[in-house]
Amino acid sequence: MRVADQDMKADMKRGSAVLREDAFPMVDRRFGENSLRLLGPHTWVQTQRLLVRLVRDPLTFVFGLILPICFLVVLNVVLGDAIRSVTGHSALHGSVPLVTLVGAMSGASVAAVGIITERADGLLARLWVVPVHRASGLLARIGSEAVRVVANSFFILCAGMVLGLRFNHGALASLAWLCLPAMFGIAFATLVLTVALYWPSTILVEAIATVEYLGLFFCTGFVPLDQYPHWIQPVVQHQPLSYAVEAMRGLSLGGSVLRPALATLLWSAGIAVGCAIPMVVGYRRASMRG
Amino acid sequence: MTAALAVTRPKPSTFAQWWVLTTRLVGPSVRNGEVLLSVGSTVIFTAGWYVPLNHIMGARSGMSSYAQFLMPLIALQGIAFASEAGALRASSDAVTGINRRFKSMPIGMLTPLVARTSTSVYRCVIGTAAALVCGYVIGFRFHRGLECAVAFCAFLLLIGVVLSYLADVIGTTSKNPEATTQWLLMPQVIFGLLSVGIQPAEHFPHWIQPVVRNQPISQFVYVLRALAGDTTPGAGSLTWSVGAPSLAWIAGAITITVPLSAVLLLRRP
Amino acid sequence: MHEKRMTGPDKSVIVSGISKSFGAVHALRDVSFEVGRGEVVGLLGPNGAGKTTMVDILSTLTRPDRGHASIAGFDVGSEPASVRRTIMLTGQQVALDETLTGRENLVLFGRLQGLRRSAARARAEQLLREFDLVDAAGRRVGTYSGGMKRRIDVACGLVVRPEVVFLDEPTTGLDPRSRQTIWDLVAGFKNLGIATLLTTQYLEEADALSDRIIVIDHGVIVAEGTADELKERTGGSYCEIVPRDLNDLPAIARALGSLVPQQNRAALTTASDRIAIPAPDGANTLVEALSRLNSADLELADIALRRPSLDEVFLSLTKDPNQSAASHARAPAEPPSAFPVSSSNGSGGGRHRLNGRGSRRVTDVVS
Repeated sequence: MRVADQDMKADMKRGSAVLREDAFPMVDRRFGENSLRLLGPHTWVQTQRLLVRLVRDPLTFVFGLILPICFLVVLNVVLGDAIRSVTGHSALHGSVPLVTLVGAMSGASVAAVGIITERADGLLARLWVVPVHRASGLLARIGSEAVRVVANSFFILCAGMVLGLRFNHGALASLAWLCLPAMFGIAFATLVLTVALYWPSTILVEAIATVEYLGLFFCTGFVPLDQYPHWIQPVVQHQPLSYAVEAMRGLSLGGSVLRPALATLLWSAGIAVGCAIPMVVGYRRASMRG
Repeated sequence: MTAALAVTRPKPSTFAQWWVLTTRLVGPSVRNGEVLLSVGSTVIFTAGWYVPLNHIMGARSGMSSYAQFLMPLIALQGIAFASEAGALRASSDAVTGINRRFKSMPIGMLTPLVARTSTSVYRCVIGTAAALVCGYVIGFRFHRGLECAVAFCAFLLLIGVVLSYLADVIGTTSKNPEATTQWLLMPQVIFGLLSVGIQPAEHFPHWIQPVVRNQPISQFVYVLRALAGDTTPGAGSLTWSVGAPSLAWIAGAITITVPLSAVLLLRRP
Repeated sequence: MHEKRMTGPDKSVIVSGISKSFGAVHALRDVSFEVGRGEVVGLLGPNGAGKTTMVDILSTLTRPDRGHASIAGFDVGSEPASVRRTIMLTGQQVALDETLTGRENLVLFGRLQGLRRSAARARAEQLLREFDLVDAAGRRVGTYSGGMKRRIDVACGLVVRPEVVFLDEPTTGLDPRSRQTIWDLVAGFKNLGIATLLTTQYLEEADALSDRIIVIDHGVIVAEGTADELKERTGGSYCEIVPRDLNDLPAIARALGSLVPQQNRAALTTASDRIAIPAPDGANTLVEALSRLNSADLELADIALRRPSLDEVFLSLTKDPNQSAASHARAPAEPPSAFPVSSSNGSGGGRHRLNGRGSRRVTDVVS
């Protein structure tokens, strides 16, 4: 710690210098705290902060990018031949979407840990006491997750193309392809944040990982649907990850897109809407103290 | 209050200290969800490997059923999850600084290490039991008699203890307890996929077959398969050539991880 | 455009009948007090007394069960948004984003307070200079030392002008120089007419900084007044005389004559190493005692005029179930020593050894 070597009198002078009346800047207080005009700017400031946090934490890249890409490569090596022999197409059309979704899900744990730590440190309370729109904090968290998921998915898509994934329906389809993990990723992040607000425990991260792997193993992106035993096929078919994978496969390979895409939308909207009120209530409770 | 300072100092017994340090880790493990998590993960991963892959891999496995083929990997996963729980614990301890506190107390140098080892054994026993139950459910059976079954479990425990030391090292050096499990989980899945536990080596692309055949997980799987036996000759025979590489891997791991773990535990502030 | 709305002439903080319970725990019970403009009020109390709950209520983090409070004229219940615009809050923990640099934190809080980006940046640079953090500004706050963290924490609260400042144990764990910086800041607040509510465990801090002290225990205000008033309540000044030769004590008691009340004289035992007499006239009593002792030609090791410390005020006002038992148990066993064990201002320890009784006895003597 470097403090200038001055005696106490100089310290006193310094202390009072900060607090000259004219030193304080003027603030524009025309609009009320909760006015809609301010929601955007307030949310943007906080989203920026969270994105900087995400970028500076190396775990974001490890869990979101590095490990999933390794997993993609290995999956391809191990199951690629088997699946190609059964379906007649490259396994990448299923495994790349799957890994994109997995990357979106496992990256959410970084945000969960972030909110739990900030709550314990008192930062959440401090941000509540600051005169910003009451909804901006929560919207910023979801917003930063949305940005993360889209960026993540883009990089995994690039890795997939390096491995040999090709879009049979043009570049526009690839843009639409990115929307699906974005949609599900945001919904999942909402779920994770809600749980983190009510259950601020380190076990949460493992719970997320467990759900993630459950979804991974029982998804049509891992192994084609007809390879599963009959009794579990309905579960596999209708889970959100499978629908998302099917929609993305339809966009890259060909086949029905609309039905699975709508189903993914329904799942995502359902999760998001279901979590909305508990999340708002939980965030308020976590920021305030009693 | 100052009267409390005048009490005579008791003499600490090493056995008592070891017991206390062990129960400190073992005692809360049921309540705080450690046991549930590792058992739960074993169940989930058993279902996750078996159910999707049974049909697509079963025919190519060369054994009576895919369950018999898959069992070694399930067993290894069981103890892997057990070790990961240990890593999480080690990481939390390192972060909260309790190791430092122990070091300033009149505890024998090796006592904390031995206590950790005992806890690992406890966890691996639970992990092995969970794996055996899961295997039984999907159709695995021991075909070579009681001694081989016992050897199967003993071998697993041995691997488990060594793995726990490794996990301990990783956990203690990691400053982020929450990240530790995720760090360990994906590599575990990747190693599992790239081994003969999922499918025979011949079905992998040629360029990766040497890696697949010789990586430690595959070697362990060969030994475990031989110990478990099968109605078909696909399980392999129980000879030294099958077992030697595994033992070499284990010996190598022990010589590296055990001293490293001891050094970290004793020296790290 | 600054809003400055104050009802009532000079009151920045008005608390009236606030009660708050958390389940079965009554954190606050019918607490009322006021803080005027430019006043520094110290909130003193043992852990769990309700200080932090009070600050939480005043900063809109908690809703009271009953009662009203207003900050700069805005009611905390019905106008929390306006309250948030006028306060600055620093808690016991430093609440900053530790992955951001010092400069980034300042800009963040500036923008959250409503400044435009350029204004926030300029203000951040200004604050960094004033708080001597320019060199560290580019480093993450997580790498700062305790004193630096506290300084940047306070700086983040000063990006815009607050009306009321809440300092919750602001100097805990700081080195003396950093503590001095915080003290200077409080002095600066006074000059600007900013009201300060200071929670602290350091009684010397409360003594030095506060215009008024409120002692709170188990959710109830047990005493309120200036530091001097509180000390007076607990016991006035007394004069303490330590002889060079312990055997001279009876002779000293004789020489002082009427200055020594009967109780003190009777309480002298062979284990006593000093004698204390009440000093209602303050320094004059001291002079009188000195002259009497001089004429008796007795040698002294020490003679001093002492006031009860705020420690003793605190301890006597707030209930500690172990306290009375301990002081009775302690007194006979302690060996005599020439100088008292120093508490924060060095006067408290000796009195316990004085005549084997606790400090309350001296109060009885004086009153």
